[in-house]
This record gives sequence, structure tokens and C-alpha cells, in this order.
Amino acid sequence: MSDGTRTIEIETLRYRPEQDTEPHYQTFSVPFADDWSVLQGLQYIKDDLDSSLSFRWSCRMAICGSCGFMINGQPRLGCQTFLRNYYPNKVRVGPLEHFPIERDLVVGIEDFIGKLEGIKPYIVPKESRTLAQGEYLQTPAQRDQYEQFSSCINCLLCYAACPQYGLNPEFTGPAVLALLHRYNADSRDQGWEARKEVVNAEEGVWGCMLVGYCSEVCPKGVDPAHAINQNKVNSTLDYFGVKKFLLPKGAAE
Amino acid sequence: MSARKPYVRPMDGWWRRNPFFLRYMVRESSAVLLAIYAVILLTGVFRLSQGEAAYAAWFAALTCPFSILFHWVALLTVCYHAYTWWKVMPKTMPMLVIGGRRISEVALSGIGWAATLAMSVAVYALARWA
Amino acid sequence: MEVFNADIVIVGAGGAGLRAAIAIAQTDPTLNVALVSKVYPMRSHTVAAEGGAAGVVRDDDSLEYHFNDTVGGGDWLCDQNVVEYFVAHCAEELTQLEHWGCPWSRKPDGHINVRSFGGMKIDRTWFAADKSGFHMLHTLFQTSIKYPSIKRFDEYFCVDLIVEDGRCQGVLAIEVASGKFTFLRANAVILGTGGAGRVFRENTNGGIVTGDGMAMAYRHGAPLRDMEFMQYHPTCMPGTGLLFTEACRGEGGFLLNKDGYRFLQDYGLGPAEDQPRNKFMELGPRDRLSQSIWHEERKGRTITTPHGEAVYLDLRHLGEKKLRERLPLIYELAEEYMGIDPAHACIPVRPGIHYTMGGIYANLEAETPLPGLYAAGECASNGIHGANRLGSNSLVDIIVFGKMAGLKAAQFSRSAQNSNASVLEKQAKAAQDRALSLVTRTGGKERHSVLRREMSKSMESGCGIYRTGPEMQATCDKIGELRERYKNLNVEDKSSVWNSDWLGALEVGYLLDVAEVVAYSALNRKESRGAHQRLDGYEQRDDVNYLKHTLAYYNGDNPPRIEYQDVIITKSKPGTRAYGAAGVAADEQRTKEAGNV
Repeated sequence: MSDGTRTIEIETLRYRPEQDTEPHYQTFSVPFADDWSVLQGLQYIKDDLDSSLSFRWSCRMAICGSCGFMINGQPRLGCQTFLRNYYPNKVRVGPLEHFPIERDLVVGIEDFIGKLEGIKPYIVPKESRTLAQGEYLQTPAQRDQYEQFSSCINCLLCYAACPQYGLNPEFTGPAVLALLHRYNADSRDQGWEARKEVVNAEEGVWGCMLVGYCSEVCPKGVDPAHAINQNKVNSTLDYFGVKKFLLPKGAAE
Repeated sequence: MSARKPYVRPMDGWWRRNPFFLRYMVRESSAVLLAIYAVILLTGVFRLSQGEAAYAAWFAALTCPFSILFHWVALLTVCYHAYTWWKVMPKTMPMLVIGGRRISEVALSGIGWAATLAMSVAVYALARWA
Repeated sequence: MEVFNADIVIVGAGGAGLRAAIAIAQTDPTLNVALVSKVYPMRSHTVAAEGGAAGVVRDDDSLEYHFNDTVGGGDWLCDQNVVEYFVAHCAEELTQLEHWGCPWSRKPDGHINVRSFGGMKIDRTWFAADKSGFHMLHTLFQTSIKYPSIKRFDEYFCVDLIVEDGRCQGVLAIEVASGKFTFLRANAVILGTGGAGRVFRENTNGGIVTGDGMAMAYRHGAPLRDMEFMQYHPTCMPGTGLLFTEACRGEGGFLLNKDGYRFLQDYGLGPAEDQPRNKFMELGPRDRLSQSIWHEERKGRTITTPHGEAVYLDLRHLGEKKLRERLPLIYELAEEYMGIDPAHACIPVRPGIHYTMGGIYANLEAETPLPGLYAAGECASNGIHGANRLGSNSLVDIIVFGKMAGLKAAQFSRSAQNSNASVLEKQAKAAQDRALSLVTRTGGKERHSVLRREMSKSMESGCGIYRTGPEMQATCDKIGELRERYKNLNVEDKSSVWNSDWLGALEVGYLLDVAEVVAYSALNRKESRGAHQRLDGYEQRDDVNYLKHTLAYYNGDNPPRIEYQDVIITKSKPGTRAYGAAGVAADEQRTKEAGNV
């Protein structure tokens, strides 16, 4: 519920394919409390002003990755962006860039899902081990090599940030390539061999022009730009057949 | 038939929509000036191979006001290019951990800058006093 | 209406659903699995779980200790045969997750690290920083991609089970993107649809935790068990209800009242020591801590915030380095959402609804009383958690029994035969019409957002941490009124594509049915046990009359029919539920009585 002390204008994109030929913006006046996020503003609109406004959300704490939007032109999570920082100016909310708009603030992400499924995003074990033998040993230092890249919540802000993905939709993209690197860098995984086709392809790491905006907008500090560009070196080494210099250490055959 | 009608937004003018992209385009464009400067230098090397008169003519052409202006602009642009270059260089390197501590990107960029400045000073000294 | 034929349909792609799917795919790749979820799998609420998952690994630990902690933590309402199976399989399942890549935090020698958690005698909580649920979910989702026999139906919203010849033979779902219906026919259905915390106002749950599977099973005659036991987590953000993990306390955090006093020692959890001690003080069980905070509020010793009364979570003495390393998510939450640096200031916290101990009654084999229908995870009540769940028992519950449900459903599906296809499709069509009628009907005056608000406010006042007969009765009446008003609902959005107004209305329908079960179950339990505490003459635990599970049966427009079922006791007779110094004394007494030295 709202305190009603201050009111902010939220301008949100609307698109109802059954009645609209094109998207357009609609403005709502939203009374808000000091600690309200943009997501809470949208929920107020849906609960009290216009129940037809559609948007994805769930956890409210920046871990489920559902509520990515363009907020005043920047890719941000709705639950982690606060209305007080925009007041008294208007807040413009749009669907994530570079994805097709299905409805209002909802975009189609099947392309991303397909790409995620295509990189073998699971452990291809370097050596086998039975459950009875217990866990694979992994030191904290080995874990640090990949933990950052395993923190991706699949919020797709990086795809909205990446102009390459917008211009060349075949590009595998930041989050998927970061996840690929997460597995290559895991000491339990075989590393390079399993996924090199994806990496070496033109739509793989070579599709990246190091704009770097992806790492800037990532809410979890995954740094996909780093994951991708260090693998350009690996890809080059692989091309020239110097496999034993592939990095990270211990993850390559 | 499904009533879905996904709307694809055009990418026209994408780089004007966000200051980050504008800076990116400036960074990329700096390479053009860098390329032109490189051609001028290469021409000078070629003229040198053609004898003293040819080299002197090339050098004289460089002293005209337009050329001086160009070289100042080019110098500033190349410095900006070097700044952005060292800034993204750490992204191309693997995670470096020495003595249990991760080497920060700022430190890596700093090493790059230090090397650049050292080289620049050395080349200048060579040209000036050798 | 589309029709899709599968061997097994799994509804819900969280930890339990994904684990079940993988179990089936691994044991029998010829079985077709349809994994149906109203959200993409990585959005499932498993993702938000923070603290960790319990499994006995230390040499000084034992299955018996884990068993006793769980049964005592559940205030002896646990089915002990199930708990025995459970504790014996935790470490194995967590190791399986590790083999699949889960980035468990490690000791310097490379072995799994474990930490303290509330109500656990010995450290046994495996953890992945403070994002254990996130890492488990992503590991399971990414591993499931290995198996081509699992076909996912992402963003398909289930509206009904299809039950014929007394067996569950599939589900009817809406493809959210288009608004079209798909009948997924199967020989067995597994529900992994999660809890129902959203019936309350202040809760840690995501928007999707609306009791869908519970309501669907309930409406088809499967009883909902022990629904009155809704867990209040003591340390939630005031207002939003977002969770500050129990691990904050496991790492050594304190709870202070407005005078800076560690008040828990006044409530039988002391004495207070500097270092965290298992089952003492801040490492007591969640229900006791929430109740203590409630009492502090009555005594006027809490802090007033714009969002209600709170106590302080003090993490300052842990230091920034340790906080950033072990509790990074908590650090972010405090800084970004509250503008508080936990290394230098205390965090105001208050209890919020977190977990649904009850659910669809399921036995050790994850079978519900409806043949062909299985349930695992938070949506099920299989007797592990009893009247109060111990932290870190749920994340491992979902994988132990997710696997069980998968294996048992696979076994059942091999021998089961579907009824006549056209009969089933006719039923599916009828379910479709019912779901569509919400949108197509005209003249309705009610709005689902209004009904939802009134429901959650009423539940908070009548079914809070402490309950009285008249307040619970008022809530029962209110929910009954809301269910009646629901028939007069108007859904403004009449479109097909991504009609979230319609889905929201369906969810409110589920929530109201489940809320009514919670309220009536609570009203009828005339004792205090675990998370169900009364102030109206029933303040004590009554093992003579109420060492029983509550079973609630659907009764149409009328209130649910309440019955009782004996708790399965094997090894552990109900004893004193004590923590702190009193707990140590009670343990010693039990040991003496059992004849052990």
C-alpha cells in the first residue's frame, strides 16, 4: 500500500498485439513511499489503476532475474531501482531492448534459452567419480576462478545492453558466453575441448566488439565482457594449435 | 492461430540513445585518425628511402598550419585511444591471482600506462638527444 | 486445444520438479517427461533460498542427531519413518549436486564446508556463499538440459488436473504467450509447485508462490495436511518482507532489542555467549525466535519503523571482510534496499511469513491419496517438518523427495494405462471452459487485487504468530465471504496474449481456497505446537488429543471438512522441546532415560 505523500509520473510502454499495430507510451500518476522500487510502482498501476498492464516479476530481491526493464533508457532490474532517485522527474519504463515485444513490458526470450541450451551448460567431468567416493575436491582458490561467472541470474540486462546482439541476433551473447566460461573454468570440468566450437565461431566470442556495456549493467558483477574477451586469446591460441597455453590453468586438456 | 504478434524494434540510431554508446563510437572512431597518422608516418619512411631531397620535401609539407592542427588533434585522439585501450586490456587477460590476491583491473591498466609513458619518454629522449 | 502426450507430467520446475525430471530421465530415457512451469525454471522460488542444505558429514555428527534435531524442531509432529529415510539420504543427494557442478563453499583442503544453523546440534549445513538455493536451482536446471527426454513447457500456467477413473491422468495448461490451452496427458503427474506464503501480507515469498498445486489437488479430493503451520522467519526486511538468511545468525549475528540487549535469553534460549552455540540464543528454531520478537513488541522494547515494529540484527562484529565473503547477498540487500552498511550499523528486522510446513498429504514414496498424483517439495506434506521446519532442511527435502517422486512416478507410469482419450479430452474441455469463464463473464463487480489484499490482511490478523479463537473465526468468516465474492469477479483484460490479469485472477482463486484451509485448520487445533501458538486457554502442547496431523478435505462452497490422522512415531517419544541451557539439560535427561551413557 502507498503512503500517498508524494506522487511520481510513470510512463510505461504498452503493446497489446490484438488491438495495437505499434507500441505506444501511457502515463500514470503513482503515489509512492520513500522506499518504493520501480517494480512496486508498476504493481500499484496494475493493482489500482490498470489491471491489464503485463510485466514479469517474482522474488523482489534481484535473484530471480524476472524484472528486467529499460528504465530511462538504461537496462535495470525493476526491483532494485528506486523511484525516489528519479523524483520529481518522470520515470520511463520500457521492455528490454533487442528482444521482440510480446506484450507491454514482456519480451520473447526463446532465442536466449535456445542459446543457453546449446553450450553444454553442465559439467563434462574431467575424471569420473562415484557418489560413494564423495565430493570432487576443489580448493577455495579453484572455486574463485569461476564463482563470479556462476552468479548470472539470467536477467538479460546484458543482452539489452549489447548493441552487437541488437545488430546481429545470431551472436551468442554475453550471459551465455559467461556461463560457458564458468564451466570451462571449473576445475571439475574438462574445459576447452567440450565447448570450443561455440567459442571459436563467428557468433561466439568473435561477435563481441568489446563495447563493455554488458559488464556495466550487470547487477551481479558477473563481468561477461571479461569472460568473453579472455577467451578471444584462447580462441586464437587454439587456432594456431598451441593448446597447452590455453587458460585457465588446469581446465584445459 | 495464435494472436501473438511480436514487435521487433529497429536499431536505427542506436548509438545516439545512450551516452555509453556515444563514447564507444568516439573510441572506435579514434582508430580512423590513428590510421591516417600511421599512413603519414609510413609515407615519411618511404620518402626517406627515396633520398634526402624527398624526405626534406615531406617534412616541409608537415609544417603547414593545417598539418600542425591535424597533428595536435591526432595526438589528443591517440592519447584517448591509448586510455581506452588500457582500460579494456584487462578484459582480455585471464584472472590473475598472485599470493592469494586477485590483481585488480586498475592495477593492470596502470602497468600498461606505466609502460606507455616509459616508452614515450625513452623515444623522445632518443629523438632529442641521440 | 492442443493435446500433448507424455508418460509423466511434472508441474513446477523448481528444485523438486527439476530433480524429479532428471531422476526419470536418468533411470529410463525412454519415458517422455513434460516439465510444465508457469515461469522459466530459473525464476522458481528455490532461487531465493539463501542459507544452505543440511547433510551429515562431520565425524562428530550422526544421522541420529540430525533425526532428533528434526523431530524435536518439528515439535514431534513429524512422521518419523520419513525423517529416518530423509536424514539417511541428505548427504548423498547433496554430493550428487556437487558432482553436477554445484559450487558448494569449501574448506581449505578442498572438502565441503558446513556451517551452523538454527536448531541443529552439530554443524551440517552445506552452503554456496549465501545463495545456496540460487546455485542449486541453476545447477539442476542446467544439468536437466543434458537429457533430451525432458521436454519443457516454459510459461505454461496449469489451471486444473484431469482426473478420470479415480486416477490423475494429466493437466490442462494455458500457454501464457498466446492464451491457448494445452491438455498434457500422462500416466502420472508430479506436483512440485511450491508453498502458499502469499496468502499472508508480509512474506519472503516471490509473487509466484500462490499455492497453485495445493489448490488443484485439494479440489480433486486430495487432503491438505497441517496447513495451520505457517512459518514466520524472524529476520525479514520491514515492509517488503525480504529475507535476511538464518546464516547471518549462523555466522554469529546477534538479535538486539531497542536497548541493545540480546533479548532471546529471556525466552529460554540462553545463556548468551559471545560465540554462536548451536541451539542456543540466535541459533534457536525459527518459531521460538519469532515468538520472542512478538513478546518483545508487547513489552514495548522494539524499534518503531514506518513498516511496523522491529528488532536489530547486529552483524557489525563480523567485520566487512567476512560479511562480503560469507554473506554477500545480505550485504547488497541491506545497502541497496535500506541504505544500511551492515559492517557499521544494525539492520532492523521483523518476522515475516516464509515457509508452508503443510501441504498436499504425501507418504514416504511421495504418493498422494489420489492414484497417479505425486507431490514433493514445499507443496507436499510428507511429515519431515512437522509443526516447525528447521532451516536448511527444505533445500535438501526437495532433492531427496524430488528424486523419490520421479522414481515412483516413473514406476507407476510404466504399468498405468490412460482412460479413453475422448473422455479425457472432454474433461479437459470442461476445465478449459471453467478457466475461460473468468474472462468471458460479464457484469462482475469484484476485482481480484482487492480480494487478495483483504485476504492477506485478514490472514495476518487472525493467523499470525499468536492466535485466538475469535480472531481465527473472524478470518474463517472473512475468507468464506471472499470466496463467495470471487464468484462475482470481473477480469478487465479480455485479451489472449500474455493476459496476466486473467492469470492473477486464477492465482487469487487458488490462494483463497488455501487460505480457508489454513484458517479452519488453525481454528480446530486446540493446542499450541511449533508454529501454531494460541493465547486463549490452549497455550500448552496437548499430546493426548493432538499428537495428530490435521487433514482438510475440499467441501465445495462450504468450509473444509477437518479430520485427524495419527503421527507416525518410531524412535522418538514426544519430549520437552527445549533449547539453550534448558535444551542441554533436556538432552541429558533423555539420554539417561534411554539408558545410554
